Amino acid sequence: MNTGTAVRNINVSQSIAESLRLEMERDSRVLVLGEDVGLQGGVFGSTRGLQKAFGRDRVRDTPISEMAFTGMAVGLAMEGYRPVVEIMFVDFVGVCLEQVYNAAAKIRYMTGGRVAMPMVIKTAGGCIGSAAQHSQCLWGTFAHLPGLKVVAPSSPYDSKGLMAAAVESDDPVVFIEHKGLLLQKAGSFAHGAEVPRERYTVPLGQAAVVRPGTDLTLVTLSATVGESLAAAGELAAEGVDVEVVDLRSVVPLDLDTVAASVARTGRLLVVDEDYLGFGLSGEVVTGVIERLGPQALRQVARHGTPDVPVPAAITLEQAVVPRRASIGQAVRAMGAAS
Amino acid sequence: MDGPTLVERYFAMVRMRRFEEACLAGVPTREIHGELHIGIGQEAVAAAMIGTLRDDDALVSTHRNHLHALAKGVPAQPMLAEIYERATGLCGGFGGHMHLFDLERRFSTTGIVGSTLPVALGHAYAARIEGRDSVAVGVTGDGGANTGGFHESLNMAGAWRLPLVVLIENNEWAISVPFEESTATPTLAERAAAYGAWGRRVDGLDVEAVAEAFGEAVAHARAGHGPAVLEATCYRFRGHYEGDLDLYRPAGEKDRRRQEQDPLSLTRERILARGAATGAELDAGEEEAAAAIAAMLAAVRADPMPDPATARDHVFAGAAAQKGLI
Ligand SMILES: Cc1ncc(C[n+]2csc(CCOP(=O)(O)OP(=O)(O)O)c2C)c(N)n1
Repeated sequence: MNTGTAVRNINVSQSIAESLRLEMERDSRVLVLGEDVGLQGGVFGSTRGLQKAFGRDRVRDTPISEMAFTGMAVGLAMEGYRPVVEIMFVDFVGVCLEQVYNAAAKIRYMTGGRVAMPMVIKTAGGCIGSAAQHSQCLWGTFAHLPGLKVVAPSSPYDSKGLMAAAVESDDPVVFIEHKGLLLQKAGSFAHGAEVPRERYTVPLGQAAVVRPGTDLTLVTLSATVGESLAAAGELAAEGVDVEVVDLRSVVPLDLDTVAASVARTGRLLVVDEDYLGFGLSGEVVTGVIERLGPQALRQVARHGTPDVPVPAAITLEQAVVPRRASIGQAVRAMGAAS
Repeated sequence: MDGPTLVERYFAMVRMRRFEEACLAGVPTREIHGELHIGIGQEAVAAAMIGTLRDDDALVSTHRNHLHALAKGVPAQPMLAEIYERATGLCGGFGGHMHLFDLERRFSTTGIVGSTLPVALGHAYAARIEGRDSVAVGVTGDGGANTGGFHESLNMAGAWRLPLVVLIENNEWAISVPFEESTATPTLAERAAAYGAWGRRVDGLDVEAVAEAFGEAVAHARAGHGPAVLEATCYRFRGHYEGDLDLYRPAGEKDRRRQEQDPLSLTRERILARGAATGAELDAGEEEAAAAIAAMLAAVRADPMPDPATARDHVFAGAAAQKGLI
């Protein structure tokens, strides 16, 4: 990814704010609604400056009334607007889930394709030592519900480009930022650190090989991409050459890129910060087997957060959430050196 | 009922303040993780509940819950240990500072705004069907009063005359959004009429006024007259959470409010003006409270962290992990 251009050392939330600003300049139908998105510019700063630039009608602080303002976005979308709704943390979506999976996700289908639903539910997920009700990823939950696109970027570059694509999409997109990445500066990323000033999109549903390797395909997304790259660096010194694939979106799921990689390496490890059961990891493994046949895989493994609420104490959290060290262990356990 | 004296309430407030300062000490040292919400400046509202609430009454609190727990009689040391993520904590370190639970005292919390009242409603219904004269208090901020859960719960409590007491701490802000920009009416207490509830607004810096009003609200609900809504006005002295830059409020205004409207100093002045205690007596009591909390903090810091091997316990009743469920 390094093309020699100087890195603009903005953080991830700034790259998202910049993306939203460019979308709002392009299209006056784009609106931003949510708690603390206006005056404060978001608790992480990912809507900073927008209210000043576009006024209160287009960037609106709402009461703590998620059911009302998420449903409001559905109505606005039916009026031809392109609302971006911020649910501060993905953990809070329960109070408005009805509007998400019965309204936003289903209206296009129920109308026989007559009604578009160009809304973005922008939210922050992931684990940052915040215990059971503030540390969830939940992308698997949304992915299970037909009609929603689900995006979870891992880098500043992708955050900007995927947000542009999400706003441009005529379908509802659940855009899950990672709480642990939002305030991280571009310069500290090993991948996707350069964020051009001008508008660009990163297409939804296209995975990226962020580290080529020959011994094992490690598939992941969001903040665990960085953790996996760090683990891969250590493993390289031990003679294990790991290919890291960043899915970038869960729906659509780019199984072609994953399968092409596994066809070369013969080993698949899925690393997922979301709950392990009935989720992304099972989907990826099954999808690859369906494409390549079981004989194409010498080894398969999953490493995710077990089906346990994320505990408060940091010693307990470290025991359940995949991070660099545990990812390294998971690869070593596969004995992947060729 | 003879409640605590003003001096006793004052010392309760002092202990609350020292307790939360002890929590603050764990943030820069990274002993406490996540968004810690502190209620400094709001002690009078919590301290006003002491003496009215019994162990068999339920109290369901919010993300800003430490003061309410202390007021409900939840023991301070295991609370502090939970906040410091220790194995000796109220919930063994599994819950954390935003999620304190004490079954014996019917105290619980949630980190999800607006989710307190529905749970309180369950406690209220249990009291009703068991023929107990207990009440259930659901606490919310002014921001939380704008959630669907607030309306649904109060409507049900009103329709079924359940002993639900809704205590609204109106500290003027929901993170960066001011009360008057997010609420349709000048007060929240006036909504009570819509639910057939008792309703009142009170100065939440005046511990005696809140105690009197809270006593009335609880008496109303206890007597079977249905729900009550008590709105206590106050002000959040610190950022929304520790680490919040708090740039949405003018610094000068914040300083002035802290200077002139600290419920602790207001109460202390009142005690001195009435001659209910001398300055020396108050000083001595304050020192004692500070020393007790300092000793508690030192003890908690020496406590062990939870054993990582236990991280999968408690998801289900019994030995689910051994049965291969997790
Ligand atoms: C359903 C839900 N939405 C948003 C949040 C994020 N959040 C936590 S506290 C808070 C503000 C609450 O304001 P208020 O109820 O007035 O209580 P205060 O913080 O002022 O004590 C918000 C928006 C949440 N925890 N749950």
